[in-house]
Amino acid sequence: MADERDPKVSQRYRELGRQEPPRHVDDAILAASRRAVRVRLAPLVPPTGRRRWYFPVAAAAIIMLSVAVTWHMQVEEGPDPNGYVASAPSPEAPKEAPAEKKIEMQAAPAAKPPPAAASRMEERARESAPVAGARAPEAAREDRVLGKISAEPPEKWLERVAALRKEGKHEEADKVLEEFRKRYPDYKIPESALKK
Amino acid sequence: MEGADEELMLAYRDGNAGAFETLYGRHRARLFRFVLRSVKERGMAEELFQDVWMRVIEARGRYAPKARFTTWLYSIAHNRLIDHWRRKGLSVVSLDDDVPVASGDNPERQVEARQGLERFAKALEALPPAQREAFLMHEEAGMSVPEIAQATGAGEEAAKSRLRYAIAKLRTAVGDG
Repeated sequence: MADERDPKVSQRYRELGRQEPPRHVDDAILAASRRAVRVRLAPLVPPTGRRRWYFPVAAAAIIMLSVAVTWHMQVEEGPDPNGYVASAPSPEAPKEAPAEKKIEMQAAPAAKPPPAAASRMEERARESAPVAGARAPEAAREDRVLGKISAEPPEKWLERVAALRKEGKHEEADKVLEEFRKRYPDYKIPESALKK
Repeated sequence: MEGADEELMLAYRDGNAGAFETLYGRHRARLFRFVLRSVKERGMAEELFQDVWMRVIEARGRYAPKARFTTWLYSIAHNRLIDHWRRKGLSVVSLDDDVPVASGDNPERQVEARQGLERFAKALEALPPAQREAFLMHEEAGMSVPEIAQATGAGEEAAKSRLRYAIAKLRTAVGDG
């Protein structure tokens, strides 16, 4: 592709000045860049002697956490319309799930036992209320929108934004779009997601 | 640290803070002018400029060199500016009072040169945002038409005509149109 530059225009443009960012902005950006790389995992050194028990305990903790998160995600997403579970649970899931459930119930003493999967979304809102304090219902709803979509690919996010705009829910759409831009800063956003 | 921009960004992604400093040093002034001439206030330009780099830092874990680093960087800036324009309207920074005017000691020539620059700055400011953006990407970042198209999400033909229109209008302002 040929260079479109016009030498006279370029020269005049250069004469406008060679402004640079101020020192404090440079410092802030470079400090942030250094902070970001400092947050790294410590090197994995095989434990010896009395610390030999670290690995099995860590492995068990990771398995427990994975099972709990998987179970929690299934609860959040609610039942499949066709009655199927989206992903096959791991063999430990049935054993671990009731224990996890018990913990959640203890954390929310005011909450009634859930009437199965049908009202699990409402249940989550009830459970989170005593923990997070008096949250506005709108905020809880927005969190739910982001929570559900956060694992989706970028295209799904934009479809969701466009759908919200069609429904006239521009505030919610803006919220999703703001979070989307943070995660995918270089992603081209179509007009349908921007237009109000 | 030496190396291509893309290698530096990969090194930074992998934890090399020095790589980012080199990368930042290479692009800071040009990106700053791109942002400064796209918005009206200097304070706002500084904020947007900082925000663009923060997004680069935040996105480092997902960085994969699919295009030139410059294209990626300016696509982030483009997206950030779109957000800004949606809220604030469209403008370009005015000519600063401290802009150097190289015209020797002759006061008449100084005035003439200053007027010429002001005319040019106004013409730049008067450009439609998409044309101005294409021109600034071309001038400041040295981006080609396909790269401008990629960074702004426009088609190549659209990017090309934006750049051509911009240059044609600015050529008139330098008295060569």
